[in-house]
Parts: sequence; C-alpha cells; structure tokens
Amino acid sequence: MSETVKTPAGATLAPMPASELWRIILSMTVTCALSAVVLGGIYIATERYAEEARVRGERRAVTELLNLSEDAKVLEIRQYLTPARDAVVYRLPGEGTAGGRELVFALDGTLTREGMLSAAAPTPRDLHSLGRIFVAMKDGAPAGFVAEGETRGYKNRIRFFVALTGDWTIAGVRVVEHEEDPGLGAEVATGWFQGQYVGRPIGAVPRLDVTRDPMPEDWRAALRARARTDASAWTTKYGPLEARESEKPIYAVTGATISSRALTDGVRATILHFRRRWELLGPHVTGPAGSAGLEGTP
Amino acid sequence: MSTSQPITLIDRPPSAKTLLMNGIFGENPVFRLALSLCPAVAVTTTVLNGLMLGVAVLLVQVLSSVTVALTRRGIHPRVRIPVYTIIIAVWVSAIDMVLAGFFPALYAQVGLYVKLIVAFAIIISRLEVFASRMPLIPTFWDGLGMGLGFLFALLVIGTFREILGSGSILGHMITPEKPLLFFALPAGGFFSIGLLMAFFNAVERWRNGGKASAAGGGGSHGHA
Repeated sequence: MSETVKTPAGATLAPMPASELWRIILSMTVTCALSAVVLGGIYIATERYAEEARVRGERRAVTELLNLSEDAKVLEIRQYLTPARDAVVYRLPGEGTAGGRELVFALDGTLTREGMLSAAAPTPRDLHSLGRIFVAMKDGAPAGFVAEGETRGYKNRIRFFVALTGDWTIAGVRVVEHEEDPGLGAEVATGWFQGQYVGRPIGAVPRLDVTRDPMPEDWRAALRARARTDASAWTTKYGPLEARESEKPIYAVTGATISSRALTDGVRATILHFRRRWELLGPHVTGPAGSAGLEGTP
Repeated sequence: MSTSQPITLIDRPPSAKTLLMNGIFGENPVFRLALSLCPAVAVTTTVLNGLMLGVAVLLVQVLSSVTVALTRRGIHPRVRIPVYTIIIAVWVSAIDMVLAGFFPALYAQVGLYVKLIVAFAIIISRLEVFASRMPLIPTFWDGLGMGLGFLFALLVIGTFREILGSGSILGHMITPEKPLLFFALPAGGFFSIGLLMAFFNAVERWRNGGKASAAGGGGSHGHA
C-alpha cells in the first residue's frame, strides 16, 4: 500500500499512512450510507404507486387479451408449490366479505384438502409461487383463461400472460415484464411477434417450435396491421394467410433467437401445465360444467 | 470548438457554447471518442430506439456530472472510481423507480434503456476527465454537451440503419422492400458506425484546415 498514486489533477500522493486508510474507509462508508438512504427514501415514496401501476397494467392486459368488457367478472386464482414440493396449493378469493377458499392437490392429482382459507395457513411468503390464473366467467361457465408464466430470457426472466378462449385456442400472449435488449430481444414483447401465437388450437401447442427462417413479408405486414385493424375486417382480409401460417413454427426475431425460443418454450410449458391443472381444478371452481370444454381436446 | 487539443487540458473553464459544441462535434462520444460503441450498435436499429436511449443517457450524464462537481472535494482520490460508479448507479436506480411509480406509460417505453445505462463508459469517463476537476457550471454544460452528442450520434446512426436496413423512418415505410437488411443486423451496426465515423473525421479535418486530428477511431476503448 505504499506505492505513489496520481490524482486526477496529476499531483503525486505520498505513501499512505494508516490514518489515510481510515479516511478512505470513512469516505466509502459515508458514500454508501448516503446512497442507501437516498435509494431507500425514493423506494418508500414510489413503491406504492409502482405497485398500483403494475396491477392496473395487468388487469388491462387480461381484459384486452380476452376481449372482455371493463366490468366483466374475472376470478383470480393463485397457485403455489409447498416448500416440501409435494403438493400444489390453489387459493381462490372469497365472495364479498367471506374469506378465500383453498384447494390442495398432491402431485399425483389427488385432492388432499378443500376448505376455507384459515388464518393459520402458511403465508405466500413460505410458498413457492407458480403464477396466477385468471378465469373469465360468463353465465356460470368459463369464457376464457389467462395463465401467468415465467421463462428465462437472454438477460433476465421474462414474465408473460397466455390467454386461452373457452374452446381452448390461444387468444393471445402478452409479455408483461422483461429486460431484453431494445431492438433485439425486446422485439418479442411487440404485438406483431406475439400475434404469431394467436389462433393456434391447444392440440398444436405441444409441437409449438421456433424457426430461424425469415418471416414471409406478407405475413409480417398482416401481423403489423392487426393492431390497427378491426378484428373481423382483419380476418376477412388476412384469414387465408393466417390459415397458411397456423401450422408453421414461430418465426424468431432476427438476431434474437434465444429470446424468441425462451418465450415460445415458456408459452408451451405454461399452457400444458395449465391444462393439466385445470382438469383437476376446474370442476371444483365452476361446477361439473367447468371442464366441459376439455372433453373434446386431445 | 475547433481546438486540436482536448478541452480538458485547458486550465480555464471554457464557455457554455464551446462545451456544448465540443460534446456534439469536437469530442462526440461515439464518433470522436469511440466510447459506448456496444450500446450504440445494439440499440440503433431504429431511430426511435436511438432517441429513447439518448434521452436516458443525457439525463444520467447531467445529473451524475453535477453530483460529482458538487461533492468532488469530499471524494477521496484513491476511491474516486468506485464512488463515481455508486453515484451513477444511484441516479439510474432513482430515475428507474420514479418513472415506474409516476410515469408508468413512459416507463413501459424507456424503462429498458434506463437500466442499460449503469455500465456506460462515456458517463464515467466524463466524471473522471471533467467533472472531478471543474466547477459546477462548466460541468453542467459539459454533461449536457456530451449527452446531446451521444443523442445526436444515436439519431444519426439510427436514421442511417433504419432507412437502409428496414426501408422505414420512425416506423413509417418509405420503400416497398427492405433495401439492405444487413444494416439492421449487429454486424451492419459496426459498419454503419465505421462509415459515419470516417465521415465525421473527414468533416473535422476539413474544419481544422486539412490537419490530421488525433481524436476519433481510438477503438481500443470500446467499453460497454
């Protein structure tokens, strides 16, 4: 520690005595403490608003994906894995002022517990979250589902919603949180990329794959036009094109195959998990009619 | 601004206009100092992307430079680099949280860009060569000039690449086909920057009356 050091101004420092070391430690400690105070203060001041904005954005995403009206009834179910990883816990909100319900399934699919959510139940903090399910109800039967999923993107996790219609075709995919690179991986969060998933039946989901072939220009134009065009007018104009592309793999974003594949793998896994879980859960949530839509699916 | 010597070697603080022009032309971060080339390549596939990142850098550069200019006497010289890094990180995090809380619509657009900035070489290099040894007012103008210079460079590269690579400008198609998709890809980004850097060097040489200039193309500092 006795070498000489040049300051930015070019002066030379003498070899460092012990008191110098303490001043350095003090300088760094004060810097870090001040930074912590500033960041902590800003976090406390903004966290509530950021959370509200996030919840608003998610609610909007669900209603847009399922094409619902603002006041449509949406049931939000939270899914958790127990710390021992031996059972899946589903928590449903209560009606009005009543407490929530809880269903617990062992991994082999047997129902091990069904009842009101007691105050002694483990808090979400002790459970491993498996994301949420939103069920849109219409006349006592599910009209559509949104399942929350997560996948490892190129840089960080990508969190997304997958929407399914009541007759089990993909109604839409929406990335709600990601940190991919702008211009590259971030393109998977755009409407034209996510539009590639729309309309695929659940039977085609296990084969859902990604190709690095370039996307045909007419299909790209159609996907870009979808956001600006009325849905029925779009189907009239681009229906044949959509039919041509419906059996093709997802076209990766140029230069961002990893992000494209990550989202596609995540969408596939989330839908397949959701289908398996809903077969067990559906009858308990909506009555026997709830699982009717599944009967005809492969 | 047409000094052949970097401004930081001058004893007296230069005027605001000199500092602004220095940031945009004489010592343009991308075209002349060749700093932060990696984000400049990654993000500039379109004009809009370049604009967003440029604005985010401008904000962080000015705020960090001003913070360092105000606190430079309290910063121990042996640990100045870690302290600068912390200052930049604090501003990046602060902007990120404030945007997320109060401007969610804007945050959805620029949030990604803000998070990228923490490791930008241009910001820390301005703190080291300018803000740490100059008073507050010139530091503010230097930060503003460098931020504008970066924004300007990203806009030029973004326009160049979007027209050639995607045949569009700000997302509006101007040609029926994509002329040269190559320029939208990362490799094309390097070629774009190289061509534009040569152009700006030629302009600078012409302004200096044909004298070769030492700045620019010093590719060895291609930090993130």
